[in-house]
Amino acid sequence: MNRFYKPLLTLAFFWLSVGWAWAQYSVTGTVSDDRTGEPLIGASILLKGTTTGTVTDLDGNFSLSVPNNEDATIVVSSIGFLSQEFSISPNLGKLNIRLKQDATNLEEVVVTGLASSVKRSNLANAVSTVSSKDLTGTTTIQTTDGALYGKVAGATIRSNGGAPGGGMSIQLRGISSLSGASQPLIIVDGVYISNATQRTGRATVSGAGGSNQDDGANRLADLNPADIENIEVLKGPSAAAIYGTRANAGVIIITTKRGSAGRTTVSLSQDIGFAEPLRLLGVDDWSEEKINFFYPEARRPVELERFRAAQASGNFVNYEDFFYNNKALLLNSRINVTGGDEKTKFFVSGNISNEDGTVRNTGFERYSVRANIDHKINNSIKLGVSSNYIQSSTDRGFTGNQNNTGASIGYSIAYVPNYFDLRRNTDGTYPVNPYFSENPVAVTDNATNNSEVNRFIQAFTLDVDLLKTNNSFLKASLAGGLDFLQNRTLVYLPEFLQFQRAQANPGDILKGKQESFNTNFQAALVYNWNLGKVNMNSQAGLVRLDFKENALFNRGRGLVPGQTNLRQAAIQEINQEFTQEVQEAGIFLQQEANLEDKLIGTVGIRWDKSTLNGDPNQFYAFPRASMAVNLTNFDFWSSSFINQLKPRIAYGETAGPVGFGATFTPLGGTNIGGLLGSVVSTQIGNTQIRPETATELEFGVDAGFFNNRLSLEATYYIKNTQNNIQNLNLSPSTGVNTTPSNEAELQNKGIELGISGTIIEKTNLRWFSRVLFWKNEIEMKRLGIPTYISGAFGAGLGTFLYAEGYSPTTIVGTPANADNPGGFTIWGNSQPDFNMSFYNTLSILKGLELSFLIDWRQGGDNINLTSFLTDGGGTTNGWFDDDNGDGIPNGRQREPAPHNNAGRWVQDATFVKVREIGLYYTIPRATISEWFGNSVQNIRVGGSVNNAFLFTNYEGYDPETSTFGAQAVANNVDIAPYPTPRRVFFHLTIDF
Amino acid sequence: MKKTLKNIGKAMAFAGILAACNPLQLDEIQDPNNPSVGSVSNNASREQIQFLITGLESRHRGYVTNLSQAWNTFGREVWYLNASDPRFQTDWLGQNGRVPDRSYFGFGNTGGGSWASPYQAIKQAEVLIEAGANTNNIPESSKNAVVGFAKTIQGYQFMIPANFVYDNGIRIDVADPLNPGPFVPYAQALDAIKGILDEGEQALSSAGSGSFPFSLTRGFDGFKTIQGLRQVNRAITARLNAYRKDWQGVLTALDGSFMDLNGDLNTGPAHPYGAAPDIFNPLYYVPNAAINTIIVVHPSVLDDATPGDLRVATKFLERTTPVTVTTDAGALVGTHQDARWASNTTSIPFIKNEELILLKAEAHANLNQFTEAIEAIDIIRNAAGLDDYSGPATQDALIDEILYQRRYSLWAEPWGHRWIDARRYNKLDEIPTSYDGGTIFTQFPHPQAELSWDQYTGGN
Repeated sequence: MNRFYKPLLTLAFFWLSVGWAWAQYSVTGTVSDDRTGEPLIGASILLKGTTTGTVTDLDGNFSLSVPNNEDATIVVSSIGFLSQEFSISPNLGKLNIRLKQDATNLEEVVVTGLASSVKRSNLANAVSTVSSKDLTGTTTIQTTDGALYGKVAGATIRSNGGAPGGGMSIQLRGISSLSGASQPLIIVDGVYISNATQRTGRATVSGAGGSNQDDGANRLADLNPADIENIEVLKGPSAAAIYGTRANAGVIIITTKRGSAGRTTVSLSQDIGFAEPLRLLGVDDWSEEKINFFYPEARRPVELERFRAAQASGNFVNYEDFFYNNKALLLNSRINVTGGDEKTKFFVSGNISNEDGTVRNTGFERYSVRANIDHKINNSIKLGVSSNYIQSSTDRGFTGNQNNTGASIGYSIAYVPNYFDLRRNTDGTYPVNPYFSENPVAVTDNATNNSEVNRFIQAFTLDVDLLKTNNSFLKASLAGGLDFLQNRTLVYLPEFLQFQRAQANPGDILKGKQESFNTNFQAALVYNWNLGKVNMNSQAGLVRLDFKENALFNRGRGLVPGQTNLRQAAIQEINQEFTQEVQEAGIFLQQEANLEDKLIGTVGIRWDKSTLNGDPNQFYAFPRASMAVNLTNFDFWSSSFINQLKPRIAYGETAGPVGFGATFTPLGGTNIGGLLGSVVSTQIGNTQIRPETATELEFGVDAGFFNNRLSLEATYYIKNTQNNIQNLNLSPSTGVNTTPSNEAELQNKGIELGISGTIIEKTNLRWFSRVLFWKNEIEMKRLGIPTYISGAFGAGLGTFLYAEGYSPTTIVGTPANADNPGGFTIWGNSQPDFNMSFYNTLSILKGLELSFLIDWRQGGDNINLTSFLTDGGGTTNGWFDDDNGDGIPNGRQREPAPHNNAGRWVQDATFVKVREIGLYYTIPRATISEWFGNSVQNIRVGGSVNNAFLFTNYEGYDPETSTFGAQAVANNVDIAPYPTPRRVFFHLTIDF
Repeated sequence: MKKTLKNIGKAMAFAGILAACNPLQLDEIQDPNNPSVGSVSNNASREQIQFLITGLESRHRGYVTNLSQAWNTFGREVWYLNASDPRFQTDWLGQNGRVPDRSYFGFGNTGGGSWASPYQAIKQAEVLIEAGANTNNIPESSKNAVVGFAKTIQGYQFMIPANFVYDNGIRIDVADPLNPGPFVPYAQALDAIKGILDEGEQALSSAGSGSFPFSLTRGFDGFKTIQGLRQVNRAITARLNAYRKDWQGVLTALDGSFMDLNGDLNTGPAHPYGAAPDIFNPLYYVPNAAINTIIVVHPSVLDDATPGDLRVATKFLERTTPVTVTTDAGALVGTHQDARWASNTTSIPFIKNEELILLKAEAHANLNQFTEAIEAIDIIRNAAGLDDYSGPATQDALIDEILYQRRYSLWAEPWGHRWIDARRYNKLDEIPTSYDGGTIFTQFPHPQAELSWDQYTGGN
């Protein structure tokens, strides 16, 4: 106690003594961009070693009072620029400071703990940061995850399809979990937000199957990407250990924009654009010869008659073109108001996105308002609140899988020859589709698949300076928030549709209401002090998480024409009710030590418990340790060519939560013949279940060359997961099928490389380029339970192998092969060989900026069942060609022989995509003043394209597709998806 | 100094507030959606026993869809045309040389409706028996009634996996989910099932008389007494004994069953169906609906029909537009659909008087009691509007005649009668494949999950 108290006392004395000195002088100057000479607004000037400082005004001017008459040093910094130090003395004249752009982000501050951050040059982990400029600076993307493509090394981001309103999967450093989707934890301004892919009910009504075939959006889609200041990606346990139980698949930390003191700026932005399909495949033409080959004898006369009629009238319909190739209008309006004073700062934004889809009657609307307010209650208490209300309405139409109902465009048209006209009759009715169970034109025109979300996310932070001296402080930090999410879904197939008319109770409606309410709270004490030359940062705190969720789905069949109220249904059914509640708590300790920016070390530990675990009161510990060495900061370093060289190493442990209900052995409810019954569940609960844990060792080196014009970041990691949760399949003879087990162990190993630099830096041309490369390999080190196959649509069409020594992404299928584990033939692997991205931005003359981003994924196979369907219907482009000349058309003879196995549908999904292209012009100040005087500050105009080009040999609309949505493994199955759009925009931004 | 103390005070107050809320305390969270299996294992209430009995009726119908679609396809009583998934045609018909594997389409790793589902019914019955045994809330006679009903259903359900894998054998000892017994050969399994049915009958005979003491659905209308359930038990035993080739046993069992030579041929217990929250009759399709997923009558059944057979007129509906489904193995055309179900809430019988009379005929024929056999055959023939049997009175001829009558009398029942019948008389090669170029399967291998379990435990 005494040892602690004495330094405190000393520090307190120093602190109090500061106020006694009255002598002072002031320094003035301007700060500007070294390259363009433009003044830098809001640059910070800090008296080194003190908490005294100021910021530059609109013209880049500053004036700083120094509280004594001694020489001193100031540190000048501005976001995006390298900070510099200058010596000052009482007689110094006006300073003219020119800052260089921080091309390699060495100055960036990165969050490393629950209550601490460190600047990138001292970081011991490969944490990726995506700034708002990286995220949304080139083009406008609907969802935040969609805007991360190619910007984070180690992240495998996949779009599930092209439907408006999102639907993405992010896997960081491979697969961390065999159950669920292995998706990262997402934290927005300190709030643990729900990124659930919620049920929409489409797969129920269309007959596709489980809710994972709904093609629903993951709810990160609600967040307006334009509100985001930056995103930090903690890719694995070594960086994310302090997040504990939910961090196995990594953590994505999103920070939204905040106000700054100074003039109030009103910024208006408008995008207007269109979307069109990125790629279409074409459909096969028909001939009498093909009809005679394709149809059985009894059917030929009517088909020939239809074909001849179409020939006579020239009325052939390319259904792919008809359904998918529409120009969709895209509109986005944004308003930001920011400003404030020393005490209170604010950022208020409003956003309206109104984007149609390329399929008629689909689209995405999002209304978002945000208020981020920071207030200093007094000199030692700071309050921050961030409030965000979002309403979104998404119509995603009917694509993907179906069974019997025909409620999928792509599935239905796979079977319709182009000589039959399905389009609406002049009397408003629709022709009966004789090739499938439904007329997809009628579905597109009249059916509904809508999801309406109302969401409120509220964050707060309260920082209390308990003790502050010149070189130490003790701070209490409270943070927390809530995320309330309500999703009302409606899937409606009206009674007059062909398939509905064929039912005993025509008309089908399924209405869902899902609500989730998550709260989290965190309290921490942070003590920053010095031990000799070592700066120490000590933190201790606790975390509390509560998740509540309820889903209620009601279905009505046999509908009064035109009515969508459930009371207007002959058959009224509670389709689903599900409630879940989870509580978690944790404690953490972290110690950081920094020896003069030369050696930076961190150790930390977190203990977590959760009601999901078999023993809800058992604490699980997650330690971490890391070390970075800035060789260039040592005195012995003399190279002028290498100006940063930082070897680093980090280790950490995390966990993945147990699924809700894993401990229960329930008696399910059932109804038969008017009586209520209880049935024994096919799952036996495991009351010993533990969270799945991961350990990761990561090491690498960061280097800067030529005065940081060029930088290199190289990382190697080995991530081992243990206790992976998977269902142990019991002998089904016992009447129970599964029990959750903690047996499997996975290993992900990989490398991540980033090279970035300013290739040209001239007054009239600056060219910045960044190349990222990453590669991950997965292996099942231990399965612990018998080898099994699972996922997709079974062995006949390609499924996945879970066997020791194999990656679970291994695709296997018929024919049976007893020599292989699992008993089937190995046909492919969905894991890419590597990913690479190229980002370039060119600043030309004054105010012109061109950027583009290219994304390359090499290898990785898909299971292309769209081809399977169109082959069955004879509509695949080139179906009736006969490449090998044996008289059997290609469509009946897909390789490999004997043309009946699963290998036919496993295809290489390598692609190169030009993700983003943007060209912007900032109108010069002088011109603006000429036009508008002082009322307008800034005008920026530009054009951009999202998903500009796709290069691939894959025989589908997009190699990125997943009919099962976000999945740990089976995320590459292609079934009649919504084609991916290319989006072309014109942009205008005006700042007042 | 003063300030420091103040700050330390602040920190303590802060810590105090935290301690008061104790954010580290977690509530105990029970399953908010369901009761637990454990809740019925000790001193269950009468209501809980009732819920388990109704649950058993529900599990009891779990096989219906799969067997109706698949087994009846294997025996070429029907084609299950399904344009949405070609494998219902290509795989189930064994086209292009496909043969069943351990994870075959439509059955998965667990054997699905042909394996896992019947075993779930057996498990449900087991839990019911235990709940009945471990409660003081129902009298002894009721406990016996529970056992009798549970074992009767178990006997019925055990026959499904047994016939699915046939020579590969099934597990009979399945009470302990983590320690299932070995696979026993088909014949031995059937004998064990006989034992279970007999125990059920025995228990029912100790359950007093009068009404069954719990509610049963309308599927058991006419059989809701102890006596009625004994008759159902014996009817099931008669079917089993035919598989066991215990022909005298068939006749004995029939004596105790609800067989009525002069009665309605359709009399028998059934699986009820209804609107939500129940489920609809899965075999019902709207007449002439413009759809391409439907069970259609196999063309051989139409081609082989005797002119004037009333069963053809009542069971098959000729569609105005045939259903055509194309797959990567070619096209199939269905001209007739199933006309047995008046609506989507019609019950589906699981054993009926008509089958019992045919079992009587079959037993007599096998016992060389041709007169009695022919008498029984003629009951069936006459009911179908056909003349008396005029063929030779030999065992072979009579068996052929009985098998033929069974094709029409028991057409497409949720049991796969034709497939099983052809197999037990070594006549699988008589099932035609010319209509679809497929293969006739003999049996299925054990589902992959069974193999995996044995690997996991390293045993058996």
